[in-house]
Amino acid sequence: MMKVSNNPMSQPFDSLHLFDMLPLSVAVVDREWQVVAANRAFEETFGYWKGRACHEAFKSKPARCRNCEAKAVFEDGRIRVGDHQGLDRFGRVCDYSVHFAPIRDESGSITHVLEIASDMTETRRWKAEYDRLFENVPCTISILDRDLRVIRANSTLEKTYGQAIGLPCYRVYKGLATPCENCPAMQTFRDGLEHLSRQSGRTPEGSETHYVVSTSPYRWDADGVDQVIEISTDITQLHLLETELQETHDLYSSLIRNARDGILAVDRRGDVRILNDAARSLIGWDRSEPPDATTLRMMLPSDFFLPEGKMDVVPDREFTIPTQEDDGIGEIPVLFRAVELTGEQHSLGRAAFLQDLSDLRRLEKEKLENERLAAVGQTVAGLAHTIKNLLMGLEGGMYMVDTGLSRGDGERLTQGWDMLQRNFEKTAGMVRDFLSFAKGRVPKLALIDPLQLIRDVVALYRDTAKRLGVTLTVEEGKSLFDALLDRDGIEACLTNLISNAIDAVTLQDRATGTVTVRAYDLGSELIFEVEDDGIGMESEVARQVFTTFFTTKGGKGTGLGLLTTRKIVQEHGGTIELESEPQKGSVFRIHLPRSRLEAIAAEQAVRDSKAETYSSGGKQR
Amino acid sequence: MNDTTQKRILVVDDEEDVRLYLTLALEDAGFQVETACDGQEALEKMTANPVDLVSLDLVMPRRSGAAFYRDLQKSAEWRHIPVLIVTGHARDDQGQADFEELTMSGPGIYLEKPVRPDNYVAAVRKLLGIEAAGEAEKGNVAELRRQLEERLKDADSEALKRALDVLKRQ
Repeated sequence: MMKVSNNPMSQPFDSLHLFDMLPLSVAVVDREWQVVAANRAFEETFGYWKGRACHEAFKSKPARCRNCEAKAVFEDGRIRVGDHQGLDRFGRVCDYSVHFAPIRDESGSITHVLEIASDMTETRRWKAEYDRLFENVPCTISILDRDLRVIRANSTLEKTYGQAIGLPCYRVYKGLATPCENCPAMQTFRDGLEHLSRQSGRTPEGSETHYVVSTSPYRWDADGVDQVIEISTDITQLHLLETELQETHDLYSSLIRNARDGILAVDRRGDVRILNDAARSLIGWDRSEPPDATTLRMMLPSDFFLPEGKMDVVPDREFTIPTQEDDGIGEIPVLFRAVELTGEQHSLGRAAFLQDLSDLRRLEKEKLENERLAAVGQTVAGLAHTIKNLLMGLEGGMYMVDTGLSRGDGERLTQGWDMLQRNFEKTAGMVRDFLSFAKGRVPKLALIDPLQLIRDVVALYRDTAKRLGVTLTVEEGKSLFDALLDRDGIEACLTNLISNAIDAVTLQDRATGTVTVRAYDLGSELIFEVEDDGIGMESEVARQVFTTFFTTKGGKGTGLGLLTTRKIVQEHGGTIELESEPQKGSVFRIHLPRSRLEAIAAEQAVRDSKAETYSSGGKQR
Repeated sequence: MNDTTQKRILVVDDEEDVRLYLTLALEDAGFQVETACDGQEALEKMTANPVDLVSLDLVMPRRSGAAFYRDLQKSAEWRHIPVLIVTGHARDDQGQADFEELTMSGPGIYLEKPVRPDNYVAAVRKLLGIEAAGEAEKGNVAELRRQLEERLKDADSEALKRALDVLKRQ
């Protein structure tokens, strides 16, 4: 307690001095409403007051207020309190609360009214701000009593959850009849601490809400926390986004998991983040934890470990994964593709796609086999046709010999005999050619330079072409990779096509012509082309040249040339096509897919190794 | 029987032996024969001097038999000239399309190589409408003459004279 005697103002107290020291505006009004006394605070707030009426001094109004409270005090002597708005000495509006009290003389009659005004302007402003804040924050706020009943709620709450005052909080937020488990408000009531939790609610319209609620003590009494304030932030949108994100993630995970191709992805540090079942089975990884970086390096082609930014130029490539089968060691051919996974800012890591090519390889092999069988069928049909033609010649010869004899026509007899001889010779030649054709030579593939090959063949025909007035050229484009070819076979094909082309040029009416030979790569195929500007063919003829024992050279050829050519091309896994226009010329084009050449070479290697095994086994015995 | 001597046949085939054989067979049967080694030459021969029937191979250099057949069909003058297809390709994949086009919508008669001379000539006659009747008559007359000659050898010369007298009187 402050000791009055020690106070610097411990002079004999003067009531007027105390009156001046009050931080409230005090004025005394007489029955004529004139201000007869006022303290310093009054003067500082409302300005000069002497000789002014109460309403003039407080409010700068010329007339008395309508419900003048001073008047009422003069009449009944009871103390009154009222809120008023006036003008201060600077003309600013100010809110104040006025306490009206009677001043009585010795006889007890009221002579004056004491008016004590306390300035409420600041307080009002705070309250208004507080109210605005409370009502309009984008959170729901409620104050709960010990029974969890809402005793105050802001408008945000009531806008979302409807009428709340007087209802238990679990009813308001969730439409429940009993309190929630782990109720955070109850915890705050118990321990007086702030609690934060995530809740789901339901609006009266039935839509689901998601919010984060914080509960903290609001008022205490002797027994502890008396009221709790509950502030909830709505996160429904966030929750929806989260759900969507989760679903997207699940979708992609499921796609990756169920993909038939193996998918493996590592993050920027090289840790495996994705390894689907197909990839596991392909690389034979059955442990639950993914392989580490070192193990991965042993399993995947080195392309996968190129520095960042270098991977977009990596072509798809094939490699084989060794397998341990019951019947020994095998290998799975795998198509490997590596890609950098790029985010908006930087690389996210890299992924490897592994496609099991076993089925594809088997189908390709079957297709090749089918084509070979079809070729055999066509060869048989062609053979039948050739035999028919030979029989026709023999039939003709016999007729002439017959009729020559019966008519005694010696000339006809000789002609018939010649015809018989010619056709017997043809038969013999055909059988010889056919035997060599049908020998079923397996091509012996070796890496050779396709351009050098055509140069060699063209050199053989240079003199013949020159003599016949045919310009024979090799068109050399850019150099080619060596290809797996059977040198003798492809040489035979080119020999055939070039000699045909020279014939086609000489058969036409013009005196000279050109034959052009070229080799080039188109996509993954090696192409050989022989072009002439000779007589050309009609489409009926062009359609049949590869499939029949066919000759456009009268009786000169056996018709086996193009058939043999086609057979050799097919043995290389390739195709041969012809573009031709009568009187314009023809282009024969051999397509050899390099992948098939490799497959055939691989088959050949297997055959060779088996043959070796067999022969070495034979030696041991 | 003078039918055949007035009919001109064009034999088209790229095989010289076949041309010679078919030509002789037709000439022996009394036809006049032109030859061509492919569709191109056939067209030239037709333009120079149209024939009464074409014997046509299908697969030939320069201009094929099928193309030449289409040329004939395009011309109002030549459209009705009968065509006999003589081919080795009738039943293989390659000949099939042409063959069907030419037989189903076309001449309707084809011969598959090798052909026997009598069958060939018979087919030509049939297409020219001087077919079996002529053939049969010719065969019968020859046979009758042969029988007659046989009998004449054995015949009684007196009886023969009497018979001749009877014929002369009529």
